Amino acid sequence: MNQYVLEMKGITKVFPGVVALDNVSFSVKKGEVHALVGENGAGKSTLMKILNGVYQANHGQIILDGEPVSIDNVKDAQEKGISIIFQEFNLINTLTVAENIFLGRYNHSRVINWKEVKAEAQQLLERLGFPLDVNRIVGKLSTAEKQLVEIAKALSFNAKIIVMDEPTSSLTKNEEEMLFGIIRTLKENGITTIYISHKLEEVFRICDTVTILRDGKVIDVKPIKELTRNEIIEKMVGRTIDMDYPKRQVKTGEPVLSVRNLCRGKVLRDISFDLHKGEILGIAGLVGSGRTELAETLFGAEKADSGTITIFGKKVVLRSTREGKENSIGLLTEDRKETGLVLTFNIARNISITNLKEVMSGMLLNNRKEKKVAQQYIEALNIKTPSVNQTLMNLSGGNQQKVVLAKWLFSNVDILILDEPTRGIDVGAKYEFYCMMNDLVAQGKSIIMISSELPEVLGMSDRILVMHNGTIKGELTGLDMTAENVMRLAID
Amino acid sequence: MNRNAAKVLKNFIQDNAIFIVVLILIIVTAIIEPSFITWDNLLNILRQNAVIGIVAVGMTYCIIAGLFDLSVGSIVSLSGVIVILSINAGVSDYIAVAYGLLAGIAVGVVNGLLVSLINGRSGEAFIITYGMQVVVAAIALFPSNGLFIAGRVQPGFFMSLGQGIMPIVIFLGLAAILQFVLVKTRYGRQLCYIGSNINAARMSGIRVKPNRVSYFAISGFMSGIAAIVLCSRVTSSNPTAGLGYEMDAIAGIVVGGTSLMGGSGSVLRTVLGIIIIGIMSNALNILGITAYHQQIVKGLLIIAAVSVDIWNKRIKVREMSNEKAYIG
Repeated sequence: MNQYVLEMKGITKVFPGVVALDNVSFSVKKGEVHALVGENGAGKSTLMKILNGVYQANHGQIILDGEPVSIDNVKDAQEKGISIIFQEFNLINTLTVAENIFLGRYNHSRVINWKEVKAEAQQLLERLGFPLDVNRIVGKLSTAEKQLVEIAKALSFNAKIIVMDEPTSSLTKNEEEMLFGIIRTLKENGITTIYISHKLEEVFRICDTVTILRDGKVIDVKPIKELTRNEIIEKMVGRTIDMDYPKRQVKTGEPVLSVRNLCRGKVLRDISFDLHKGEILGIAGLVGSGRTELAETLFGAEKADSGTITIFGKKVVLRSTREGKENSIGLLTEDRKETGLVLTFNIARNISITNLKEVMSGMLLNNRKEKKVAQQYIEALNIKTPSVNQTLMNLSGGNQQKVVLAKWLFSNVDILILDEPTRGIDVGAKYEFYCMMNDLVAQGKSIIMISSELPEVLGMSDRILVMHNGTIKGELTGLDMTAENVMRLAID
Repeated sequence: MNRNAAKVLKNFIQDNAIFIVVLILIIVTAIIEPSFITWDNLLNILRQNAVIGIVAVGMTYCIIAGLFDLSVGSIVSLSGVIVILSINAGVSDYIAVAYGLLAGIAVGVVNGLLVSLINGRSGEAFIITYGMQVVVAAIALFPSNGLFIAGRVQPGFFMSLGQGIMPIVIFLGLAAILQFVLVKTRYGRQLCYIGSNINAARMSGIRVKPNRVSYFAISGFMSGIAAIVLCSRVTSSNPTAGLGYEMDAIAGIVVGGTSLMGGSGSVLRTVLGIIIIGIMSNALNILGITAYHQQIVKGLLIIAAVSVDIWNKRIKVREMSNEKAYIG
């Protein structure tokens, strides 16, 4: 009896000009939780797309339950028991849970028997241990609940292997626990999970085995117990990283931004704090505690009802994002694809967007100037791209985020609000991003960093404000900045 | 090398499929009837299409911004009525023209404010400007009870606007200006950002609302100009003169290759689109094909243009997703 449910042997995939996967062998045992880690561009997604039938390998073999198979397309993969749950869900928001689970496969002769469909959906969800009303509309579910629907959908195909791509990237702590519970349930039922994540803490908690990819090659495959966190990172990036968070000399100056009694509807209540020159101020709190709303209000994207904002000693009323920018505030939004970038435009045009004045000669745009500026930022921020003309769509997450940062650096604002700046970018790029933040405050800029990743907030901030339910629940400085203290303030 | 050349050729054919089809039509027509390719005939085609061309060029900003303006036809009717009534009332040519233009801008601003008020996208803009089309069309009928109005037009400024090559000069001149503004100014670039990703534009400190209102205002203004050229040429006004112009304008924009999804396009392409449709009807006329059959061909051309746009996009997206995997 073969102990492997899936073996991918000697997989090679060549794209024009580059070898994305070079003789990769990837084997997964039945019922295990197998982590697939690597930096962006290491080849994880390509490998999974081959497994999913989106791409065909140039060489190599896929063996499922001991049988060599060819996987021609996504439907084929599903029928063979392979389901992939991507970060962006494949659900129809206007339909119900039951309709989504059995979409297009309703058991019917002529008329759909909805009762049966619903009962089956209910059964699947109960198998997962999290009953969810199958009549609810998917668009009104939380991210975690949508994920549940995706998993139930995979089960409805009798999935043997479920691939989860960054499943916790937008989940709260509680929801993460729920997901881990579900993965354990799947395991008990003999279903194999391939777990792709940048968050190594999770990998250590939930996974049995880890395969590390780098530059399209398998670097190591080991039971997770035999590796340490630092060993994994070293193998991923191919170099030693001395510490997760670069140190800096803290020299904060006078307040540059003072907020007093700021209120906005029910989402912000009586917010008061100061931000100093050269400071990185961390804002922690659960998703929905008002962090993003605070950022939007400080940037002028939403109007405050009452309270004052003082920037460089001048009281200001921000009625639009342009006024925010003119008052030296920039906001790196939490969703770079939706609100941060114009994905169909090239790097040069995405950087100049905040400050077109600077790339004009007289009244007219100067393309040469624009490209020169972009080239400078590509070099300064080490953006990996063939040229300034590259479309943003074709850059990796980390490089896209660098472009967002570049556009705000180009706008010359002194106060930068970074909302989840390292979400979905890999360890190496994160470290680079932190170093850039340190450079910026060293130059006298000030940063507000909103983050759901506790180690990051603790590692990077000079001071931490913890938000809860639209208010600032507390401020932590110095030795009080511990994970326990933050969570204590954030939760209740 | 050879493969590369083949790829370049394939891309060229993909991007210009419509132009190539029309080129073939031109060649066939020219062989059958050599008088087709004469300077006079070309000027004739341009003159015939100048009015709709001005409207289409004016609406192009709206389309690039991911919006629609269905009210343009009614604006042509209304502005025409206003200009001719003003002239008949003895107002000077310049002031009459100004009234006509102001009416166009006013309708455009109302369109823009209504769409902005609800933060509308193309769908809402479609319906709102359709509503305005109905309302404005009715207003244009009031003064003359829907009847044709003869203009007491004297030789002078107003009369000159529709004579000789003036309509062509106005059409191409304004198109050149709008194209220049689109490509070379901050305002034009902001339009591209707004059309491609309105949220990213807003969150980069661009004032979206006033810009969006201005696109409708420009569309209204250009419809006003079209009305003036039209009325000057026929020295009268018909309160239903602009009926159906909006669809002809959109057809020209689409045939030129500007995407209805917004974000990309150019005024120059709209000019080409209008000329292509014009050349096509002219060629079909010369070939002796009846007006009814011509309409079928025109309809098919529009459908083909949209299909080619979508088809190209799919191919590009597929190519991009392949590239993405390579860069990581």
